[in-house]
Amino acid sequence: MVMVDYELKKKVMDANIHDALKYCYQCNRCTDVCPVADLAPNRYNPRNLILNSFLGLKENIFGGDDSFNIWGCTMCDTCDEICPQKIELTGVFTVLKNMSIAMGEAPEYYTIQASAIYDSGKAIPPQPAIERRREQL
Amino acid sequence: MAKVEEYKLFPGCTIGNRIPFIEASARKVFDKLGIKTSDAAFACCPDPVGFNSVDHTSWLAMGARNLTLAEAEGKDILSLCNGCFQTLKLVNVELNNNEHEKEKINKILKVVGKEFQGSINVKHFVEVLHDYGPDKIKEFVTHDFSGLKVACHTGCHYNRPSEIVQTDDPMEPVKLRELVAATGATPIDYSEEMLCCGSGVGNTEEAPSMQLLANKFSSAVKAGADVFVVICPACFQQMDTNQKKAGTQSNNEFKIPILYLTELIALSFGMNPDELGLKFHRARLTEFLTKNGFK
Repeated sequence: MVMVDYELKKKVMDANIHDALKYCYQCNRCTDVCPVADLAPNRYNPRNLILNSFLGLKENIFGGDDSFNIWGCTMCDTCDEICPQKIELTGVFTVLKNMSIAMGEAPEYYTIQASAIYDSGKAIPPQPAIERRREQL
Repeated sequence: MAKVEEYKLFPGCTIGNRIPFIEASARKVFDKLGIKTSDAAFACCPDPVGFNSVDHTSWLAMGARNLTLAEAEGKDILSLCNGCFQTLKLVNVELNNNEHEKEKINKILKVVGKEFQGSINVKHFVEVLHDYGPDKIKEFVTHDFSGLKVACHTGCHYNRPSEIVQTDDPMEPVKLRELVAATGATPIDYSEEMLCCGSGVGNTEEAPSMQLLANKFSSAVKAGADVFVVICPACFQQMDTNQKKAGTQSNNEFKIPILYLTELIALSFGMNPDELGLKFHRARLTEFLTKNGFK
């Protein structure tokens, strides 16, 4: 039996400041235009992700074999643009990604970059060789 | 909104600390055109793909801190990077339209003695150059680039989400094309012009990232492109450094120069490839430069 997680539901609903999410009618335009869903249809599906998010079906989103179902998103924002209901899908995906990070399920790139920003204030810290090149130019 | 007599230049981490030749070309072009900029003690924007995915609240707070530095001088920010532009613009708009979030972020900023006001605007360098005017830029052009076929690639975060960033058409942007045309080169049509370079998904997995890149390259090559012109350092790095990998992924061989818009403009103004640091490109420009009359 799939359980509804009300905490997840609330977080997802709160994220969408325009209240548009409740008007999703699963038309699939987001998945139609998604370049990643086009390459890996069985692994990444934005329509499915939105459906599970607003229904609060946490187990369908987190804790899988890999987290590509969330992190396959290439952040091109094409789905945001194409959605006939003007749902900012990537705003919802950011909530899911923040939760995935907190659960320790995210790809390592993200935590490494965040540590660099935390330590130095820069995603890419200055390097002496590049600094010299920059001065010369 | 702030007056635009001088901008606070926001080069960003990737350009500043990895590919500084792009910053050099931008500064030289702005100098030539008389677009005034000054620096500030900005931190990471932070990255809209990376850091926002880690923690949205921290992303807002860091972005807001950067905005307050420009607010203190009453100047708009001029970004050289799609990512920094999108972050700063999104943070600015979100906090300006959400009192609750603004209050929350200002509580955090109070710790470092700052307060977000929402008094300035954030501009992408393509917007600024386009406002300056392709026709006025044309007056500075001394090099003949006629016949050069250019595949324009705006990248995703310059013009989307359009409702917020309001720079250009979200799926058929025109400003980059018009600026490229101002140099005398010809922007071409290619089927995958709006396809993402694949940099974002590349943080998660390499294969789909390289496949997207290969699809993009193939489409432009098929349409007869001599060179790509880009306006985002993440796209630049993805496209400049991964041609071999994208080729392996798709049984192809790609050798196509990737130029930043400011590099193409600088060359069209007759600037020397050496002073622009073009030798630091990974996809070699030697053939392109010789063919186009540079030594």
